Amino acid sequence: MKNIIAVAGVVIKELYRRKDFYVLFIVTILICLVMASVNIFHDDKIVRYLKELCLLLVWISSLVIAVTTTARQIPAERENRTLLPLLAKPLTRTQLVLGKFLGCWVACGLTLLCFYLFFGLLAGTREHMWPVLNYFQAIMLHWFMLGIVVALTLLGSLVFAAPSSNSTICFVIIGGILLVGRHLDHVALTLPEPTRAISQAIYFAIPHLEFFDTRDLIVHNWPLIHWEFWGLAIVYALAYIGAFLTGACLVFRRKAVN
Amino acid sequence: MKSSRTYLLLVVAFLVLSFGLAADLQPQFRELRWSRADGDVFAVLLGDSRKLFANEFYTKADAYYHSGFYPTIFDNNTAFKTAHMAEDTGAVHSNNHGEEESFMGPPIDWLEKFGRNFFPDRHTHLDEGGPADDLSGSDNVREILPWLKLSTDLDPQNVQNYTVTAYWLRQRMHKTDEAYQVLLEGLHANPGSCDILFELGRLYAESYHDTNRAENVWAAAARNWKPIKGDDDTAAANNFIYEKIATQLGEAERTADHRQSAIDWFEKAQSVSRTPAALQAQIDDLKRKLAGAAESAPPPGLKSQ
Amino acid sequence: MGTILKTDKLRVEYRSREMRQATKIALAGLDLEVHAGEVFGFLGPNGAGKTTTMNVLLGFVQPTSGVASLFGIDVRQPIARQRIGYLPELTYYYKFLTAEELLRFYAKIFGLTRSETDQRIDQLMKLVELEHARKRPIRSYSKGMQQRVGLAQALINNPDLLVLDEPTSGLDPVGRMKVREIIQRLKDEGKTVFFSSHELGEVETVCDRVAIINQGELKAIGRVNEIKKPHHANLEQAFLEIIGFQNSSTQPAP
Ligand SMILES: Nc1ncnc2c1ncn2[C@@H]1O[C@H](COP(=O)(O)OP(=O)(O)OP(=O)(O)O)[C@@H](O)[C@H]1O
Ligand SMILES: [Mg+2]
Repeated sequence: MKNIIAVAGVVIKELYRRKDFYVLFIVTILICLVMASVNIFHDDKIVRYLKELCLLLVWISSLVIAVTTTARQIPAERENRTLLPLLAKPLTRTQLVLGKFLGCWVACGLTLLCFYLFFGLLAGTREHMWPVLNYFQAIMLHWFMLGIVVALTLLGSLVFAAPSSNSTICFVIIGGILLVGRHLDHVALTLPEPTRAISQAIYFAIPHLEFFDTRDLIVHNWPLIHWEFWGLAIVYALAYIGAFLTGACLVFRRKAVN
Repeated sequence: MKSSRTYLLLVVAFLVLSFGLAADLQPQFRELRWSRADGDVFAVLLGDSRKLFANEFYTKADAYYHSGFYPTIFDNNTAFKTAHMAEDTGAVHSNNHGEEESFMGPPIDWLEKFGRNFFPDRHTHLDEGGPADDLSGSDNVREILPWLKLSTDLDPQNVQNYTVTAYWLRQRMHKTDEAYQVLLEGLHANPGSCDILFELGRLYAESYHDTNRAENVWAAAARNWKPIKGDDDTAAANNFIYEKIATQLGEAERTADHRQSAIDWFEKAQSVSRTPAALQAQIDDLKRKLAGAAESAPPPGLKSQ
Repeated sequence: MGTILKTDKLRVEYRSREMRQATKIALAGLDLEVHAGEVFGFLGPNGAGKTTTMNVLLGFVQPTSGVASLFGIDVRQPIARQRIGYLPELTYYYKFLTAEELLRFYAKIFGLTRSETDQRIDQLMKLVELEHARKRPIRSYSKGMQQRVGLAQALINNPDLLVLDEPTSGLDPVGRMKVREIIQRLKDEGKTVFFSSHELGEVETVCDRVAIINQGELKAIGRVNEIKKPHHANLEQAFLEIIGFQNSSTQPAP
């Protein structure tokens, strides 16, 4: 565990010493502030469009940060050959994978906190509502969703050699799941048999990231998700994280590093 | 490395700033008649594809009207063929058929059933029902306005946008002046549009209580109306608006006791109506009164005696 | 004197990813034995298989056949690496960390306590003469400085066996001398050093024994003097003859 935390610490340091995160954060803030200043029919109580836009930016930024930081972790270690002195130490490969995962995931969590803090302030000052529990539910779900993304990307970075191809593939997969994952079963029903079985298999196999997309609940002030389902969603995420990480460890264990 | 990031950041900041300024100044620009073209940023940026976006935003506004939920092409959306927000304004007649309440149908597997806990899937409107259930007549409908505005900006030729926007602004937000501005903008972009003229007339009549002007505007609308042949939705919508204009004019004439012209208007309305029987009662009533008046009313000469 | 490092008929083949390309035999049955407390020089021309041998010893590459062991433990077990320090060739350490942070990170993996770590880092920074730069990010280091950071990280756990892959590459003459001194000092402390090098002069002065390999095969092994003797020449000429390099200008004078 100590080793895992040590590896994670380096990943987090990297994130805040590289400036990408700040760029994204500042761009998001600027866009939101500009949007907030646009005057629509002299009504300053209109807030949902602003919340929606801001959340959309938060989601995109968080996915970009999660995928790009994770995708370059192990390839960079390999390229700079720091993997060698690291593995020459009493650190197992499993610990390295877990450490990288933990680091990326916690780093994503920290950036999420920054983003949601800004979002909460922007929305709260306009709406004069502070639904703390809603935010808690949404942030946790978002964070666990990013956990799946990070684990998937980590697995990808061990399978595909080039970080750029890995991140492109991950973006396509994640985007696809978020946009059409929910409807795959309905689509399957309209297809002829062999493709139908395949689509249904895909539908049940993919991690349904769209469950975790609770933006509409925040934007439209819907009541809390039942805690029971919320908890189940977290367990669901953990299951996929576990599966992807196990896969990553298996792939990595067989790999020659030099 | 460090400095190049700073530059990148600066460039992005400037871009955002200029985009914001552009969005902010666009209305002012429009007023400057000498500005080039129709001064539309979107037209320059997107070309004709902007209509596609406009439609998207129009749908988005309707989704907002439904407190965030909207059926996708994969769900049963026959209950949503006409945007409810437009239907409720009375600007369009309804094409909706299908079950509104369970528009999504039962979930077809446990995964879908589970997933439905994570997004709003109940049919609610911003001004009724809704998550908190205390929204009757709520002015929460304001939330649909930005999308309508965006939609109008992108596709100024879509008259429904203007009438729907104006209706919600006027009826629920009590922003009569803004609604008036919207309609004028709409008329500017679509000179003589009878939908917009009709809504403008309602605004004069109901909000400014200026019946004369209202009637003039409606009369202009009726003059501008041209029949469209066919059985499709466009023709139906075209007839629907004429029916409403003619009915309004008929009502106005009746109030002013001009029974014959009232009957004329009602009959014109009937000629295009999908439910002619509903108007028949009014026409019969008027005819009866007219006949009664002709019989019982003594000639002027006699009356003075 | 115990055997600390041993390879037995070690064979490594690199199967190339692309079809139609022949399998590359990097090591062809290498037998090596390094005893406790000695400085062992591992020599060979470019591509001879030196780095490959070290990769096997550290468990990065699975041997095709044969076994390798450290401290009598098979290298496939991670415990075998607890008491070794390793300096890889051509490594670019995390640019965004400072030397001190890097060493602290590695110390954590070895499970050193905080005070041990502080003490050790102070010692090492003095040893590799990076005290002035220890709080600077590694990004700003010169090549020689990076090489010295590498040496420091190899020593962080006070290892009993050091595996150094070309420790002096990229260093100026003063730096090389320093590395020789460090190796000498480690030897005096009773440590074992196994290192590869192309600097035959320095090998001659510091090594107890050397091995010369070529194309994955062991060509000679023994004390420096024993290797030089049959060739009546310095180590460099002996090396060239052993690997079968024929050139009139390098023939020794009769
Ligand atoms: N990953 C690999 N895939 C295929 N061949 C490899 C790989 N790594 C090394 N080789 C080959 O194995 C042989 C031995 O390489 P190695 O790196 O051990 O040489 P070396 O003795 O360290 O050389 P140098 O002095 O240049 O460092 C070389 O012919 C090299 O091309
Ligand atoms: Mg080498």
